[in-house]
Amino acid sequence: MPPKQPVEKKAADEQSSFSRSTRNVRDFFSIPTPVKHLFGLVPVVTYPPNQLPLRAPKPARIPSLYVFTKDQDAMAGRPSFNPSCLKWQTFLNIAGVDHRLISSNNHSSPTGSLPFLLPAVYGSNTSQDSLTPIASNKFIKYATEHGGKVEESSSMRYEAYQSLLDHRIRNAWLYTLYLEPLNFSAVAYPLYVSLTSSNPLVRASISHQLRAAAEAELLKHTSIIDTDDLYSEADKAFEALSILLGEDSWFFGNDKPALFDASVFAYTQLLLDDELGWKEKKLCRALRSRANLVQHRERLLVRYFGDHE
Amino acid sequence: MLELHVWGPAFGLPSLDAHCLAAIAYLQQAVPRGKWQLIASCNPALSPTNELPALKNGDIWIGGFRNIFHYLAQCSAGEWVLDAGLPEQEGADCIAFSSFVEANGQPLIDLSLYVSTQNYTTTTRPLYSALLPLPLPYLTPPSIRATAKSRTAHLGLSALDIDSDDSSPPPSQSIIPESLRRPRNTVSSLLSASPEASAQIRLDALGTNFFEPLEKLRGRKQFFVSESQFSSLDCLVLGYLSLMLVPELPQPWLAQCMKKKFPSLCKWTEELRKTVYGPEVTIHDAFLTKLGDSELDLRLKRLRGRGHLPWKAPDNGGAIGVGSVFLSGVADGIPVVGQLRRNTRMRQHGGLTTEDGVESSSFQYLAVIASVVAGLGAVAGYMFHQGLISFGEREESKESVSDNGGLGAFGEAGAALGFYASQMDEQVRRQRVMEEMNETTHVPVVEVDVELEKQGP
Repeated sequence: MPPKQPVEKKAADEQSSFSRSTRNVRDFFSIPTPVKHLFGLVPVVTYPPNQLPLRAPKPARIPSLYVFTKDQDAMAGRPSFNPSCLKWQTFLNIAGVDHRLISSNNHSSPTGSLPFLLPAVYGSNTSQDSLTPIASNKFIKYATEHGGKVEESSSMRYEAYQSLLDHRIRNAWLYTLYLEPLNFSAVAYPLYVSLTSSNPLVRASISHQLRAAAEAELLKHTSIIDTDDLYSEADKAFEALSILLGEDSWFFGNDKPALFDASVFAYTQLLLDDELGWKEKKLCRALRSRANLVQHRERLLVRYFGDHE
Repeated sequence: MLELHVWGPAFGLPSLDAHCLAAIAYLQQAVPRGKWQLIASCNPALSPTNELPALKNGDIWIGGFRNIFHYLAQCSAGEWVLDAGLPEQEGADCIAFSSFVEANGQPLIDLSLYVSTQNYTTTTRPLYSALLPLPLPYLTPPSIRATAKSRTAHLGLSALDIDSDDSSPPPSQSIIPESLRRPRNTVSSLLSASPEASAQIRLDALGTNFFEPLEKLRGRKQFFVSESQFSSLDCLVLGYLSLMLVPELPQPWLAQCMKKKFPSLCKWTEELRKTVYGPEVTIHDAFLTKLGDSELDLRLKRLRGRGHLPWKAPDNGGAIGVGSVFLSGVADGIPVVGQLRRNTRMRQHGGLTTEDGVESSSFQYLAVIASVVAGLGAVAGYMFHQGLISFGEREESKESVSDNGGLGAFGEAGAALGFYASQMDEQVRRQRVMEEMNETTHVPVVEVDVELEKQGP
């Protein structure tokens, strides 16, 4: 069949070139024989898994609360230096939920902000569910589930006075801590910057970030940061809180402290704490002139942060 | 004579901003008629805090409604104060609820008037266009909207902003036929088709959280904190509530929520609005440009009723004034320059100490230099990419690359691979030669791959 042959040959050629190229690829990926021999001679050893680093968190019998704090303060259970951490730390103390403090920063949190709680491990029960970190907005639920005693006031004033803390006082706090240059270098820098890193470049970048974030937060609500307005509003807010507290021991006439007391304490403790070394004391003075708020802070400090002073 | 500069009228209200409305109500109640004038302005830069309302007394400018309240108390020696003489507890409530209204009311107004695309495009933006002289509507409303969006970002309701809907991809790009595609969930479809949709529920919850404490606080009283006294809290609440209730919007969820669940608040707002702001205000009232009215008509209108507000025609400085506002708006919009302008404004106002100025400005100049360098680099890169600049060697290198086959493009690793490939080609060629030899000589050659494995004993 002479006429057919070239066609066949061509087809065969194509086939062979194709198989050649596939073989090329296979050759390329297969292990060369000598190397294979060499590997055959070497026994495969599987090493046991490494130990976790010593500083890795160990499963604990009691829940761990991750907050901004210094290591030695965490051991002693002293108040955190961040208002929202201190609020929830105080809340857990009030609710009677036993916990240990762990010094941490925002990067470790699953939500991107502290505090969060790592539940305790009971016996060998290490299911995934029981080890999920709990964000701060679920703390009340956690506390009630774990035998905490929480009584929330249902006063119609609750929301309004809470907004004083969350906006007026918080804004003044952000300004006085981060944007007052004297306070930033004296108070915020050692706590938030020096603890994080010793590298001057990292420190400069972190302090810039902190200040920029505080500024952006304040500029969300006004087109300019009006210092006098911030301080006078905070002063009025303390006035209103002081009137609300009146002669009572705890807010809203409760016979036990509750979450609102913890939220107030979060700011009053830090503003009245002399160890922090405030330099520009406008906000502290505004608070100090309200004697019942100062006593309220003393009461909580003695009762829940016992041997501190 | 005091001059109160506010954003212009809208929806039949004297202003379209809640704080301006609050300031108008305060002056209307506290300052005797004839001692103040109301001016519809378009230039917040006049005020030291860069926001309206702003109060002008001679050469003194006061910005922000709280500062205005304080200033009025000062300049009248305690006479023009609404909160004077409130009992202690009521005074505290006044402070606390003012903060509450401001903190929780502003996001609702933002969502309703600015973030919701439908309301913004069909109602709010046209209003600004009517109020502002020509180039400004291109800058002011979008910047206000951007602030509103940043303020409400934490609520997770950005779905209300459906700007992206307009730029949906052309149908030719998708291979799914029209009939099988799921319709995009826009807020309008969510709200109209299924009121139980999640956005509606969240919006309703937000609204209820805001209105409920207010209604409880008012109870059966005539005003919010006191039975007889019109306080600064009432001014603020009136400003916010009327801006929530009165506008007729394509997506009226806020007004609906208020009307359905809190009828007594609605009644209070409607009544007080009429006594404080007077009858419906139009743009012509504010700019005193009644078309076809004779002088007599105008005078009659001014004389009529105490509720009528003392409007004065604005003087926005003609084309130069408008132009400067426009340019400063443009400058604020440019990334680096805008930041610097904001910082200088803040330093002028806040009077930060020099130490801080040095520290932060050195960082900022560094940032400016870095960004300028980066910008130049980007431009150069773009030109290079577009072929506007080219280097002589480029063509040559291109050729050498094409010589070396595709692998040359991978640099040194590519060269190594190329070497390997050519070696393999060599191997194959040798094999083919062997095969051909086999064919010709018909000598079977068997390749035996012997694999030695060491067996364990």
